[in-house]
Amino acid sequence: MKELTLQEPKPILTVNKWKFIIWLFIVTIIMFFAAFTSAYLVRRAEGNWTDFQIPVIFWYSTAVLVVSSVFMHLSYLAAKKDEFLKLRTFISLTFGFGLLFLVMQYLGWLDLQSQGIFLKGNPSGSFYYVLTGLHGFHLVTGLVVLLYAFLAARKMAVHSKNMTQIEVCATYWHFLDILWVYLFLFLLFFR
Amino acid sequence: MSAVSVENVHTHDEHAHGEHHELGFIRKYIFSEDHKIIAKQYLISGIVWAVLGGLLSVIFRLQLGFPDMDMTWLKPLLGDWINESGKLDPNFYLALVTMHGTIMVFFVLTAGLSGTFSNFLIPLQIGARDMASGFMNMLSYWFFFASSVIMFISLFLKTGPAGGSWVIYPPLSALKEANPGSGDGMTLWLVAMALFIVSSLLGGINYVTTVINLRTKGMSMDKLPLTIWAFTFTAILGILSFPVLLSAALLLIFDRSFGTSFFLSDIYINGQALPNQGGSPILFQHLFWFLGHPEVYIVILPALGLTSEIIATNSRKPIFGYKAMIFSMAGIMFLAFIVWAHHMFVTGMNPFLGSVFMLLTLIIAVPSAVKGFNYITTLWKGNIIFTPAMLFAIGLVSFFVSGGLTGIILGNSALDIQLHDTYFVVAHFHLVMGSAAFFGMIAGVYHWFPKMYGKMMNSTLGYIHFWITFAGVYFVFFPMHYIGIAGFPRRYYQWSGFDTFSSYADLNAIITIAAILTFLAQGIFIFNFVYSIFKGKKATENPWKSNTLEWTTPVEPIHGNWPGEIPTVYRWPYDYSKPGASDDFIPQNVPFSATPESNLPEETELIKSEKEIEGIKFDTSIHD
Amino acid sequence: MTIVIAILAIVFVILTFMVVSKTLSIIKGIKDTGSEENEGYLGKPNKYNDANGLALLIFWILSLAGVFWSYFSARENFLPESSSIHGRQTDFWFWVSMGVITTAFVLVNSVLFFFAYKYRYSKDRKVSFYTHNNNLEIIWTSVPAIVMAGLVFSGLRVWTKVTADAPQDAEVIEIMGKQFAWAVRYPGVDDNQLGGYNFKLMDDANGNPMGVDFADEKSFDDFSNASEMHIPKGKPVLLKIRARDVLHSVFIPHMRVKMDAVPGMTTKFWFVADKSTNDMRKELGKENFNYEIACTEICGRSHFGMKLLLVVDEPAEYEKWKRSQKTLLAENPKLLELVPANLKAKAQKYLPVEEAPVEESVADASLSNSSKVLK
Repeated sequence: MKELTLQEPKPILTVNKWKFIIWLFIVTIIMFFAAFTSAYLVRRAEGNWTDFQIPVIFWYSTAVLVVSSVFMHLSYLAAKKDEFLKLRTFISLTFGFGLLFLVMQYLGWLDLQSQGIFLKGNPSGSFYYVLTGLHGFHLVTGLVVLLYAFLAARKMAVHSKNMTQIEVCATYWHFLDILWVYLFLFLLFFR
Repeated sequence: MSAVSVENVHTHDEHAHGEHHELGFIRKYIFSEDHKIIAKQYLISGIVWAVLGGLLSVIFRLQLGFPDMDMTWLKPLLGDWINESGKLDPNFYLALVTMHGTIMVFFVLTAGLSGTFSNFLIPLQIGARDMASGFMNMLSYWFFFASSVIMFISLFLKTGPAGGSWVIYPPLSALKEANPGSGDGMTLWLVAMALFIVSSLLGGINYVTTVINLRTKGMSMDKLPLTIWAFTFTAILGILSFPVLLSAALLLIFDRSFGTSFFLSDIYINGQALPNQGGSPILFQHLFWFLGHPEVYIVILPALGLTSEIIATNSRKPIFGYKAMIFSMAGIMFLAFIVWAHHMFVTGMNPFLGSVFMLLTLIIAVPSAVKGFNYITTLWKGNIIFTPAMLFAIGLVSFFVSGGLTGIILGNSALDIQLHDTYFVVAHFHLVMGSAAFFGMIAGVYHWFPKMYGKMMNSTLGYIHFWITFAGVYFVFFPMHYIGIAGFPRRYYQWSGFDTFSSYADLNAIITIAAILTFLAQGIFIFNFVYSIFKGKKATENPWKSNTLEWTTPVEPIHGNWPGEIPTVYRWPYDYSKPGASDDFIPQNVPFSATPESNLPEETELIKSEKEIEGIKFDTSIHD
Repeated sequence: MTIVIAILAIVFVILTFMVVSKTLSIIKGIKDTGSEENEGYLGKPNKYNDANGLALLIFWILSLAGVFWSYFSARENFLPESSSIHGRQTDFWFWVSMGVITTAFVLVNSVLFFFAYKYRYSKDRKVSFYTHNNNLEIIWTSVPAIVMAGLVFSGLRVWTKVTADAPQDAEVIEIMGKQFAWAVRYPGVDDNQLGGYNFKLMDDANGNPMGVDFADEKSFDDFSNASEMHIPKGKPVLLKIRARDVLHSVFIPHMRVKMDAVPGMTTKFWFVADKSTNDMRKELGKENFNYEIACTEICGRSHFGMKLLLVVDEPAEYEKWKRSQKTLLAENPKLLELVPANLKAKAQKYLPVEEAPVEESVADASLSNSSKVLK
């Protein structure tokens, strides 16, 4: 090992520490949701599990979130090319679609309630609310990060030479998107 | 583009400005972002909590050792928790046990130990100006502080603090009808723990990032001191396991406050059946122990890391089996995640799962044994200097061995049937993780005090402290094995109701006396600590003649750690008593080219690459 | 033992006194000069170095003596005499494991403290620059691994046996934990089957604390006894364990039985008691010996008081005792309300009828008989 590290000594810091931090943060969120979904599976295997229809609107909200991720990527590209107007527009669009997603999640909850599935009651329903709710909470934090990125973009602090913030923001947003897709498929397949 | 460059200059300006500016008192000592100050904040909070946690244990030890005692004299302290006939309230007894466990495990041995030494030593030993993010680090401490305040407030509730033991198994912790402590006390406990978890995660993410990203020139992973390896593994354990506890706590909060049934089912209490159906209390235990077991390694690994450093320094001898130590710690870390259900052999879990977990559990004994053997071999043919830190480190090894061995019995599911939840378990974990980690923490304080405060602690007081504590701890926890083998269940207010458990009143009394004396002896340490901060003898830069980088920093700690450039690292941290060398230690920042007389053949080869190491350029474009 | 306490107390008082006086003198010393040789820094050991090394060794020798002395003096209460078949197996392996770990405990600590003493600082010692030895690492990885493997193997065998399904002919008894007592239900002498239960039927006020479902005719002959639990000697007993409020854990120390009671989930544990209460009284020479059941999962205020007496009868006695017990319906005729109309006729049989006095007197007689035997 000694020899190996010494043979290639030139650049040491290749990982940006903020990117590293956001990845570790993502790991904690993964563990957090992994705990919930495995608890879900364990509990489900015990039987006494109410089945219900997943509201259709969750399909659309998933699409909305995926689109917002595309906008996120576009704003990243814009930042890379120093196209500031585009950057601000795309960040705003990402933000808007994120908000729309939250509204649709709420509508989904209303739909569930009209089916007679409430937070109280059989754990199958409770898990549904808790998982979507917690994802929603994380998405709100994602919106806050976006807001910061937007403010930074307005101050011209995001540009091709200073990509850390937008990269961190994009990583987090894409992660929240993937997390939702995972949760959605999970809830779909393990009803 | 011009706007861009202006912006760049501007931020640089600000940065430079920030470094030279004298910070006000509040930013410097209270909301400080300096890792050394934060470490001291953690240390002092940890000590305060340790005194409180110890005091609680003394109160319940009085109850257990002298069940007939008239405790009216404690009324000024405990108020209504002592009833008219001078007896401790059984509910409050449970609250005491719960808070003792919670405080010691989380607030003292996680925050006080890991928080103090990870913060203090990581930047100093890897050669960094500070943590990756000073702000997150500050946030981490203040989340911990907020958590502490809430937990402390819960002690004064009318219904008492949480009383369902530190494992807070539902339904007991979920139903306030079941136990007064499960009311507001439990709510505050959960809130405090949620904040604590946030604090731990912020800290852990910071530690790992710092170790990975901010090492000085030449500090490759194979030159890291074992302390840093231990802290890194600890932080990884925390990052992976604390979120799971948070999810368990959240589900419990939902059950308590929003009427869900994750952990509750088929309950009839206070004359009525609750509507909850379909929950599983066992599920909570799985989630809890998925954190709970790694947590014991979160507690012990930093202590082992500190011990490695102290034993090598004071034996004037390289730590034996550096790589084996790393591999065994990595092994422990990995196995820590897949042994949790050995806490649940008799919960009605599938017996086949029980066998699997038994197998995995006993495997974890192997890397632990390797660590013990390596410590002992480090002593062999050394030249041991018994500083107080060294004595505490040796004490730690002894506790780790003695307490670890009984784990072999408890990890065996067939034998665990009888011993589960008896005093055998209490004795086991108090030795192997409680006292051992505590000794690691104390050893660390004695050893790094000169670097923290620029003063020496008095060593004679240190010796007295060590001897009373060392003997005291064995006196307290060794007899507990006997009580456990006799079957005495833990968390019992008294045993006199059972013929089977009517013996050993005298042994319990001895334990209580020893516990009180051991507790009082900590006063010597606290006196020494406080006295030395103000009146202690001035320390030198490297009082123990140690190799690691922190000993190259000035006696008076400064912001940014090194006045000039950060030293470059050329060698591993354990070049003690190297044959041919003029002195019995060669610090890490001494190049091989400067020590031709003691270089091993392969090290002479390395001289060539020293220029390259010095030529490393860091990517400085990333600012805070 | 009281003498030991007294001696210890004196020793500690003297020790405290010494510490206090020493502390005072040191504080003085610090104030005076802070003399150079007092501090162990600058890489040189201070004047207490030899003393500390020696003290570690002496401490260990004294500890060893203490460990062995205390072991032999405390031994009589260790692992209360086992009364179940699997219990003797787990006891055997417990002592084997104890042998292994005690050996390791003595060896490893001896080496540790001896090295600490032997290699205390000496000006002339040549320290060995000994960084690693892979062979040694392999040895001390594999030796514990092999020992562990042996223990795991033996443990697994016992564990599999203990947790295997109960034999068909096992006597099924239900035990339910509640704050803060145990309730026991027997399957009854007619059908020898436990009736169903439902927590929604639990009702302390109307005498159905266990939530027995009387729509299930198997419940009709079920009976319960609040004061003590009886089991037959030499016959497998399967405990069906449940709880109705919080977690509890059934612990029968002499039987080496322990299993959590969980609300919403039935757990089980089966065992064979092969010493009756009387056998044990004779064996231990204790006239008033009784088996006890305790709770080992924290359950609230009176966790320490959840005691139930367990009586192990000779099989014939046990049958007699069973027949003498009053069914739940007979104990509490109000429960008849829970019986659906179509089964009421069947249930009548278990109610205290007109000629009940006769039956009851018989029952009383046999009950007093069995209790006489016990006395």
